[in-house]
Amino acid sequence: MGKIRSQVLLRHPDVRSIKIVDPGIVPTEREMNGMWIPPGAKIPWAESDAVFVCTPNNVTADLCVEGLRRCGHVFCEKPPGRGWEDFCRIAEAAGSVPGHTLVFGFNHRLHPSVQAAKALVGQGGLGEILYLKGTYGKSGGVRYRQNWRNNRSISGGGILLDQGIHLLDLFHFFLGPLEVVDAVLADSFWGCGVEDNAFVLLKSHQGVPVFLHSSATLWKHTFRLEIGCREGYLMATGFLSQTGSYGREQLIIGKRQFEDEAMALGNPREEIIQFDRDESWEKEVNEFLSAVKEKRPATHGTLEEARAVMELVRDLYALKKDPMPSGRSY
Amino acid sequence: MRSIQTDARFPLASVKPLDRLASYREVCLTLTRQALKAGCERRLNPLGAAPLEPWGQVEGLTYGRCRESGSFFLCELPDWKRWARLLSEVSRVRNSPEGFHSELASSREDHVTLPKSEWIQETLRLQGIFQPRVLEGVTPPSDFNQHLRQRGLFSEVIVADEMGLAHGAEPAPSKRVEVALLMESLDRVDDPVGLLRATNRSLQEGGLLFVTGLVSSGFDMAVLGLRNLYLYPPDRTNCFSLRGLKILLERNGFSLLEVSTPGVLDVEIVQAHLNGDPSLQLSPFERQIIEADCQTQSEFQAFLQQGGLSSFARIVARKGQMK
Repeated sequence: MGKIRSQVLLRHPDVRSIKIVDPGIVPTEREMNGMWIPPGAKIPWAESDAVFVCTPNNVTADLCVEGLRRCGHVFCEKPPGRGWEDFCRIAEAAGSVPGHTLVFGFNHRLHPSVQAAKALVGQGGLGEILYLKGTYGKSGGVRYRQNWRNNRSISGGGILLDQGIHLLDLFHFFLGPLEVVDAVLADSFWGCGVEDNAFVLLKSHQGVPVFLHSSATLWKHTFRLEIGCREGYLMATGFLSQTGSYGREQLIIGKRQFEDEAMALGNPREEIIQFDRDESWEKEVNEFLSAVKEKRPATHGTLEEARAVMELVRDLYALKKDPMPSGRSY
Repeated sequence: MRSIQTDARFPLASVKPLDRLASYREVCLTLTRQALKAGCERRLNPLGAAPLEPWGQVEGLTYGRCRESGSFFLCELPDWKRWARLLSEVSRVRNSPEGFHSELASSREDHVTLPKSEWIQETLRLQGIFQPRVLEGVTPPSDFNQHLRQRGLFSEVIVADEMGLAHGAEPAPSKRVEVALLMESLDRVDDPVGLLRATNRSLQEGGLLFVTGLVSSGFDMAVLGLRNLYLYPPDRTNCFSLRGLKILLERNGFSLLEVSTPGVLDVEIVQAHLNGDPSLQLSPFERQIIEADCQTQSEFQAFLQQGGLSSFARIVARKGQMK
């Protein structure tokens, strides 16, 4: 993620210089126009206007807290630490730094299909939301077990905290505050001691039901967000990711039609919007830098939005304290 | 940029039946010949410096082809005032009993007018534009602007004569508009570049332009070429390819927001031509498509939409560079 963020920053007209601290960078990549700082070397806090924290979860909170205290403007990649306690440390540090800017990287709400869906629900024509259903998953891969994301001591959780958190943020984006109804978290296949499948049932404060499936055993990479409304439905599928493995990003728009309006009940006319440009990374970084420059709060990825999802993560992991009898393993 | 597909289905007969097109088409061709007889000039390629290549004739009227884009254009045109009078006369005929539009008013409302206004409405919603002022470039009368007024989508609907706009004879709106519509206007005016530039001047910076047209790169146009009975002047004086339309817009100060070919009739149009002329030469592949079952044809039409390969094009462009 740090690489994507740095590429976006390099294109930004207001960014004068970037320094990168990454112990994982291989020597051949080190000659990055003087951007790279060796591990252990002093971070030039005095010359830094802002910091991007794109690290494994176990060091996220420490770096965010230090960044807030030293330069006051921090962009933190999701998740905000390993769990609720890490998040609270970041929130507490932010509270003690007047005029700070703190943004969390929940870029999915800025994806074109999600933005279009947001414009079409409610007054946008499709009416009140009746339910939300999200599926987000990947297939793991041969190095899955070695990845820090699946090592509880580093990550703090499994696929729910890694990818599922984006769906939780999207649900919050559409419905506002949510509460946990029930969940099944399973270590079905990988046997890493963290969930590789999360089935979560939530409801909004107005009682709108929400269902999430976050998975590391979706052998076909999948992103699908279904939004049922009074006047129709939306289905955002695919993602303009760098590898393209999530398929073409599109939004299906269906209008409710009963048999008096359509040839056959249950088969309404659909339109599909195909998107070929993902500006979510640029939008997110631009908003963060604008907020810093204009000394104002950011409009998205805020502390309160992060709090909303981390409360859900906290409640879900509390609900399923010993939820993961190691399932089948290969 | 985005593109839109639709699974709306309606028969050709409900919007532009081939059998009832003949008399209207004949009137159009006759009026065009009369307009050209009074004197005409060879056209330059609207898309660039390279001259139009000879391409062929439609009932004795010569079309040329732009090599760069695959677009084709009627090669000779009279002075613009004569062309404006021709468009005006054809517009009157189209909406009279001699044309077929009035007989199909209800189904055209359902399948042509309403989807067009819903497309505009949803695009405006997605762009966060509410109750804008709109300029429609058209040769009056336009039933579409009446429809737009009735739907109440716009704070003001301004109708401007498309030929007057193209030639600087139509006064620009007193205040620049947020939205402009050119519904098949670029297909029929003698100077599409002039029309686009005038429309650009009428739009606010960042304002949206909605364009529809029949494109030469679409399936039925590509298969039938000059044999396509829907290709005739003045309604199809210009038949841009999708690429040609994109070039035209980008060269004249617009950035592309949506490029779609949501046509649903390509396969049926070729089928209707074959029914009318069983000796029509088609390649073995084209014949397989035309003779395939409904499901295959429907999936093929969806493929055409998705690939930008249907002959009905819709474009949304923004004045200026992309934000």
